[in-house]
Amino acid sequence: MDQELADEMSAHREMMTEDRLAAFGSTLRLREDSQAAWGWMWLERLWQDLNYGRRSIARDPGFALIAVLSLAVGIGANCAVFSLADTLLLRPLPVPHPSDVVTLGSRDLTATTSATAGYNILPASYPDYRDIRDRTTNFYGVVAYSFIRTGLAPRLDAQMRLRTGMQVSGNFLDVLEVKPELGRSFRPDEDQVPGRDAVVILSHDLWEQEFGADRSVVGREVRMSGIAFTVIGVLPERFTSIDQWVRPAFYVPLMMGPRLGQAADVLEGRDRRFFTVKGRLKAGVPISRARMELAALAASLQKAYAATNKNQTMEVRTELDARIKTVPANAELVVMLTVLAAAVLLVACANVAGLLTSRAPARAREMALRVAIGAGRTRLIRQLITESLLLAVAGGIVGIGVGYAGVLLFRQITYPSDLPLMITFDMNERALLFSLGIALLSVSLFGLVPAIRTSRADLTTALKAGAGPATGFRGFFGARLWGRSALVSGQVAVSLVLLTTTMFLYLGIRASLAAGPGFRINHLLLMNFDPSVAHYSAAQEHEFYKRLVERSRSLPGVKSAALASFVPMTVDIDAFSIVPEGNRLPRGITSVNVMANRVDENYFETAGIPLVRGRAFLKTDAEKTQRVAVINEALASHYWPGQDAIGKRFSIVGAGAGEWVEIAGIAKTTKYLSTLEPPADFVYLPYRQNPPACCMTLMVESAGEPAALTAPLREVVRGLDPNLPVYDVRTMEDFYRARAVQVYQIIIQAVASMGLMGMGLALAGLYGLMAYAVSTRTREIGIRMAIGANRGEVLRMVLRQGLVLAVSGMAAGLVLSTGVVRLLRSTFPGDSPLGAYLAVTPAVLAITMLAAYLPARRAARVDPMTALRYE
Amino acid sequence: MPNHHMPQGSLSLLVLRVLEGGPLHGYAIAQRIRQLSGEVLEAEEGSLYPALQRMLLEGWVTAAWGVSETNRRVRFYTLTRDGQKQVKREIEQYEQVNAAIRSILYA
Repeated sequence: MDQELADEMSAHREMMTEDRLAAFGSTLRLREDSQAAWGWMWLERLWQDLNYGRRSIARDPGFALIAVLSLAVGIGANCAVFSLADTLLLRPLPVPHPSDVVTLGSRDLTATTSATAGYNILPASYPDYRDIRDRTTNFYGVVAYSFIRTGLAPRLDAQMRLRTGMQVSGNFLDVLEVKPELGRSFRPDEDQVPGRDAVVILSHDLWEQEFGADRSVVGREVRMSGIAFTVIGVLPERFTSIDQWVRPAFYVPLMMGPRLGQAADVLEGRDRRFFTVKGRLKAGVPISRARMELAALAASLQKAYAATNKNQTMEVRTELDARIKTVPANAELVVMLTVLAAAVLLVACANVAGLLTSRAPARAREMALRVAIGAGRTRLIRQLITESLLLAVAGGIVGIGVGYAGVLLFRQITYPSDLPLMITFDMNERALLFSLGIALLSVSLFGLVPAIRTSRADLTTALKAGAGPATGFRGFFGARLWGRSALVSGQVAVSLVLLTTTMFLYLGIRASLAAGPGFRINHLLLMNFDPSVAHYSAAQEHEFYKRLVERSRSLPGVKSAALASFVPMTVDIDAFSIVPEGNRLPRGITSVNVMANRVDENYFETAGIPLVRGRAFLKTDAEKTQRVAVINEALASHYWPGQDAIGKRFSIVGAGAGEWVEIAGIAKTTKYLSTLEPPADFVYLPYRQNPPACCMTLMVESAGEPAALTAPLREVVRGLDPNLPVYDVRTMEDFYRARAVQVYQIIIQAVASMGLMGMGLALAGLYGLMAYAVSTRTREIGIRMAIGANRGEVLRMVLRQGLVLAVSGMAAGLVLSTGVVRLLRSTFPGDSPLGAYLAVTPAVLAITMLAAYLPARRAARVDPMTALRYE
Repeated sequence: MPNHHMPQGSLSLLVLRVLEGGPLHGYAIAQRIRQLSGEVLEAEEGSLYPALQRMLLEGWVTAAWGVSETNRRVRFYTLTRDGQKQVKREIEQYEQVNAAIRSILYA
């Protein structure tokens, strides 16, 4: 249409004679006219607005500086919190169309999970996975995987090193749409017969580290756990991992798992739920349809396999949902910090809105003048909003700097381990976009209302008002200032909430750190073993552990040595579903999931965990004797309240079902996953009666410096089996500091800086309002002094008005704080919030009074004669 | 040289009228108006083509690409039945308005 018209007109023009051409003008302009192409005008007007805005802001650099800094603080806080949220929760999987990939798996309807009993993941057994894969229609494909640890040598004759990789179903790469950088994916037939196809695909990292990025690596043989595997491919660098944290070094077909030390029945038992299952939804399929399909499948499996699938439902979770449920504490932290950052942003916007309001009278004259010479109201509003946008964008740019400081703070969070982890905090393009979004949001918070109010200014009044701002005998709550007063009170309220929250968290964290975790921190060395790498039989494994402890204990400088399947504060938790004897569980619940540790007889002594009653384990608590357990006080008080739990019994769901386990001792409740957790149920079992699925940690208590024992202990292990790799050697002190102390110090710093930022902004707002009010009342004050008021009275009068603002804000803040603190107490420790209020309230009152005092003093120094001549 | 602008609203009437004589292309329409008005009225390009677009939309004319007498690709506009009715209506209206104006001017 457009083109046709253009053709037609150029034909017309060509047909015209030379002299007529001038009269007709250009085709372009005529085309613009006939298509109403003045749509481009907005760009020109925007440019105009931007120029005006720049000039108007440059005229008042002090205002611009405070506004931009306020916004920078608000936007920066949000930017930093976003990058934390991005790392912990939001970052998409590194695969194409990540939002189509969901997590599937089983959940026991009748098992309750005791508070913080670890992670609510959706595991699946291999037979269940096969049914999901073959019997669902809403997925493009369904994959299964689990981590696997094994020794790997780049050449058949080279030394093996312990590596963490993944065993994956054959369709893994195809369904995730990951194409190898070199070589090929697994073929369907390589995932059919257990143990047949010894092929491996390398991660980009491993390929670079161990193979020098050699492109001829495909087809070469590597040695894994003593078996030759053929390298068939190398994955691209951008596919870091399907797991949120751990980067696998290699990928092998699931069917090879048993040959790499995985238990053989893992592929057959329907109750061996060890795999993570992810599916890619077909295009356009809503997750609700997949949920219904999985629920129906679970129901049919419940009927067909009652023994293993009774009460097992199947769920579908989005990646975000799965991450939140896996570590709820991370989500809680993110929510808490997001709320705090939003509060800081609100206070910052209130500041800027206040500044804009005090500019309003001056601007009103300018606006009135422009209305008088014919500008439309929408145009004026647009002009003012453009100015606000300029401020916001400048604030956003500086704010990104503030946000980066936050990212640097979060980067100190570490997890000491040999695992190739990716806890990366960075300012990625998503964080930048988010900051821009926040900047735009802030405009609507601070810019819109003043813009509309200013543009509504009455023409004649504004033009008549003369040079100075309108003065009158109005207090702070006079018609024009009440809005700003409310803003300032609100700022004081929000910053009080920020500070009490900070103080509450600080006191709570300090108290729990001071109380200690309940186990030994000093003089403890940790060393991990994975005997599955060495293909031990059960008997060999027992023998190895027995000798390991014996020899370790006989080393000079060693006070005691013990074995445990779980080390407090690590993420490798162990858990059992137990059924206490007698009807002790709520209706409809048949078992409770409890965190557990499989330990030897020396554990309680070595770890420094005192027993309250009963006995610790004995060497004689072995396979053929009565099964026993030590439970913690929390578990005892939950299921045997007011009774002596010693001698009481429970059964374990799954392995050895039907056998009673007798409670032989009660241990003090310690911290298990984090310093801040509420008391959690916990059960200790003798490892001889409950062989661990994977790995044990040797814990050695030293007389002197524990790190000094590292070399002699490695020597002991080499003496027992030179091929058995040792990993994650660390002192408890270092580990505890990084996991328990440092993380909370960082959280405290983040929270405290937000509290201080909020307070600083609120003080600036209060001071600004007071100073402005005093300046508009100079004349009034002069008159008051002329008719006999003394300086003290003037000082008190102004201070009183400041006090009204501060106190009303603080009252509102205290009410809000009690609500916030009540919410926080459900997740964070802290006995009574009273301490926090007592510390914060007087301090806030004192600082706000200081902010009010400075303008008040200026008011009191007003010279009546000058004041009356003012204007 | 023609230097009189169209009276407002009369352009479409003139264009429709000119087209009663048979299909013409845009430039030819402008030329005919000029010729027939004794070089008094000028259909400017800037108003002629928007007016033709409007008439196309109203369904008074149809347009077809063809080749002009000077071998250029141009669009020929043809009056439709609706267009013929519209000419009558507009002439009637014009007569009425003209009579009304005259009665005021020479009263």
